[in-house]
Amino acid sequence: MEKVLSKILKRPVLTLILILGITGVFFFAMKENTRMETDLDKYMPESHPSFIYSNQAEEWFNIKDGIIIAVENKSGIYNSETLAKIKSLTKELGAMEEVDKSDVTSLYTADNITGSEWGLEVEPFFTKVPEGESKLEALRSAVKENDMVYKRLISEDETVALIIANIADDVFSEAFYQDIQDLAASYGGEETIYVAGRPIVEGTMATLGPADMAKMVPVVIIVIILVLYLLMNSVKATLMTLAVVLFSVLWTFGLMAVAGIPIYAVSTMIPVMLIAIGVADGIHLINHLRQYLVRYPDADSDSAIDDMTKHMWKPVVMTSLTTAIGFVSLLTSQVYPIKYFGLFTAFGVMMAMLFSLILLPAGLKVMGLPKWKRDRKKVIEKTGFSIHYSAFILKHKLAALLITAAIIFLSLWGMTNVWIDTSFLSQFEKDSGIVQADRFINDNFGGTSTLNVILDAEEPDAFKNPEVLKAIVELQDDLEISLDKVGNSFSIADYLNRMNMVMHADDPAYDRIPETNEMVAQYLLLYEMSGDPENIWEVVDYYYQKANLTFQLKDDSSQTISTAIALIEEHTSGLRELGISVKYAGSGYKALVFSQLILEGQILSILISLLIVIALLALMFRNLLLGFIAALPIVITAIISFGIMGILNIPLSTTTALLSSIAIGIGIDYAVHFIEMYRNNALGEDTKIRVLENTMQHSGKAILYNALVVIAGFLVLTFSLFPPNRALGALVSLNMFTSFIGTISIMAIFLYQSNIFFKKK
Amino acid sequence: MKKRIIAVLIMLVSLVLSIQAEVSGEEVIWNVYERETPDDLKGNLTMTLENSRGDQRVRKITQYTKNTKNDEKEIMFFNSPADVKDTSFMNWSFTQEGKEDSQWIYLPALKKVKRISSSGRSDYFMGSDFTYDDLGDRHPTEDTHLILRSEDLKGEKCFVVESIPREEDYMYSRTITWVSEDKWIGLKKEFYDEDGELLKILEIQDIHEFEGFWIIRSSRMQNIQKNHKTNMELSNIEINTGLQDRVFTERIMMRGL
Repeated sequence: MEKVLSKILKRPVLTLILILGITGVFFFAMKENTRMETDLDKYMPESHPSFIYSNQAEEWFNIKDGIIIAVENKSGIYNSETLAKIKSLTKELGAMEEVDKSDVTSLYTADNITGSEWGLEVEPFFTKVPEGESKLEALRSAVKENDMVYKRLISEDETVALIIANIADDVFSEAFYQDIQDLAASYGGEETIYVAGRPIVEGTMATLGPADMAKMVPVVIIVIILVLYLLMNSVKATLMTLAVVLFSVLWTFGLMAVAGIPIYAVSTMIPVMLIAIGVADGIHLINHLRQYLVRYPDADSDSAIDDMTKHMWKPVVMTSLTTAIGFVSLLTSQVYPIKYFGLFTAFGVMMAMLFSLILLPAGLKVMGLPKWKRDRKKVIEKTGFSIHYSAFILKHKLAALLITAAIIFLSLWGMTNVWIDTSFLSQFEKDSGIVQADRFINDNFGGTSTLNVILDAEEPDAFKNPEVLKAIVELQDDLEISLDKVGNSFSIADYLNRMNMVMHADDPAYDRIPETNEMVAQYLLLYEMSGDPENIWEVVDYYYQKANLTFQLKDDSSQTISTAIALIEEHTSGLRELGISVKYAGSGYKALVFSQLILEGQILSILISLLIVIALLALMFRNLLLGFIAALPIVITAIISFGIMGILNIPLSTTTALLSSIAIGIGIDYAVHFIEMYRNNALGEDTKIRVLENTMQHSGKAILYNALVVIAGFLVLTFSLFPPNRALGALVSLNMFTSFIGTISIMAIFLYQSNIFFKKK
Repeated sequence: MKKRIIAVLIMLVSLVLSIQAEVSGEEVIWNVYERETPDDLKGNLTMTLENSRGDQRVRKITQYTKNTKNDEKEIMFFNSPADVKDTSFMNWSFTQEGKEDSQWIYLPALKKVKRISSSGRSDYFMGSDFTYDDLGDRHPTEDTHLILRSEDLKGEKCFVVESIPREEDYMYSRTITWVSEDKWIGLKKEFYDEDGELLKILEIQDIHEFEGFWIIRSSRMQNIQKNHKTNMELSNIEINTGLQDRVFTERIMMRGL
């Protein structure tokens, strides 16, 4: 390895040109082929049974996510102007390319099922906008009498009307969102227009997060450059350390582009990981070089750089390999974007290793060594601190142990409070337009989020059976009454209740399921004959063998959906006796399953990578105990990270879960560098305490620099406008900090106490 | 000799041309409207509904129709599916302009005859893709008609007539009908929605001559936008059996024939 390296480094210019050339190719590929994936369905594992079923059910019942537009007129919506706006907004939405005309629902398109002296009528509430007091009043009372519309499309206080445009999963784009916003804005005036709904939230998320990241990352890099320069005191060293990181990011994304793999939302975490992990190698190398030059002030550039690669290639390769393996363990995930994330971050880490060993020294050879003051005295004065510190931790090792134990205990308690959240809405600022629109609509209506419950019967015509229909009503009532977050529900039973009542002269006593199978069947036939039958196929299938119950929820948090599902599950045994199975569908449900998959996968892969890393370290150092000692900072960092999340009420989401990978990546780096240096020092003639002091002086300092650089960089993210990016910045900084402290305190103590490397003497 | 032949040819051609020129869109549609139909008709109607996924539902109905100069009366009894058996449906439509149609339904489970919405000419007939208006004869004066061209359809020479409703808010913005030039029967019709987009296509698949009357035995209506289809097949056809007016009453709806 050393020979290969020195051969390569004999021709630094050629090496540089070669690396720059390949980088150019990757850069070009990136510019040409890079593609963002914004369709969230593409993130889901298509082969997972829950997704297969949900997608099927979405097709059966035309279940789509709705863009919800609320038209508010504080003095009431029953005036010709507001109604005309509702009508033309409905028509304009239907005319949009992305929206199917039949997928727009409003007071203008709704069916009014009424009873008259004659019988059943199914008619629109209005086609021409009603004018004049009496006609408006007639419309008002027609709405008020129809609870399939009242409080669903028109608010209870009659000041808000909803227009819902269902769109397919893959049509949302930034341009479409802008069109909707423009359209809504053009209808302002007497009325206030609110835009909400899952597609809007998802779409904004998908564009806002990366856009914010793109704005923040340059600032992060600038801060890192500044801090690197302050610590390294050399433009050249700073430049080369940074080059290692940037080139590894470029190659990684270049390879993704060449392989034709799109950029997913999680992929935006790759540069974050590579920045945090990649600077470590550079810092340790430069640190070694600097120490060497202090010791040998007269050394020439070639011998100094050769000494650096000779001593440092091993820890660099070890840290990179273990980190990469940690990321490769993400391949166990069922979710493709996560697999890719793991694979390509691993690739990036390996590239960072390659560049640290080739690009950095080659660059320094070409540019010449940094002009540090090679003053031995000053440095020796400074070593005083590491001596004091080493003595301090050894003196207070019991206290250190107790404090660590206490922190871990507290964190473990905090971990029990960690909750999973797949909510998209919770990721926005409380006072952002999107959250306010959502709250406004939730306050006035059943809810902006939906859960679809799919009932599947063994026999056709099951949903004409009054027993079954009554069970459905019971289920709906139970959820609506017991759960605050369930605002509304809708099913085939609502149609039949309404028809039964209107066929009995609007007698509320008949607002219930008809008594016989035949009665139900004949009402349904009557309904089909009387109106536009299309709407009913959203609640039941052609053979009356499958039914779709829609629950409207006040928020899209995992807790809300899970609580609703838990209560529904209590009804399943009764339904099963009637030959009906219960399953779930819709994007809210899919998001829940999806995030559970991610988290399960994440926890599994953390455990796997931890085991691999321990084994690998044990193998590298030929000592099992050392494997465990080296794993200490990782474990502590991960536990504290999750504990803080629990204590600070930061929900576990796909992004924050992935951050635990950073704990492993960084924890290993610190530990390996420290242990390797400790071992090298132990090979000399020094006493145990001297070895520790020297290691603190060299490795400890490099680790401190590393932590400082990344913490300073990522603290920038805490000023982000996008809350998830803020959490990201804070958690990365926290992980760096705990890894650092863990390595130089508790791990150092264990290493010292273990007497490893000293036994043989 | 040659000259005489040419003269005759010229005469014939001009005659044909003059006939062609004389026939206007209005006349074609009037001819269709006034085509001789039997006084009454009895038959078994099989209605097959098919949705976009290819799911099918079949309804079997016995149908009785009686035409007079002023009205058309129709009564239908469901034979299957079993849960709607004996449900019956009656329709009276009047030729007199402005006089609204009347429709009744008898639901055996409710044991009551109910009138159903009379305003629903644009309603779909029993969940099919036919509206009541598509099934009935629309009065020619309700639209303006224009011959677009003449072309062959399945070997029949047809006038292609575009009809645009005079009423502004009608459910179709226009229809295009292929009318057989010798039978005066529409063989195909395209329906365009309010926004001018093609909504439905009606195709007559089988017409048969009974005692001098052309009767449609099989037709298919396809909703292009919703990808939903309805096939109507009429079998066991009997015509002019002398159905009495008293057949078309609520009592018969309940009791059956």
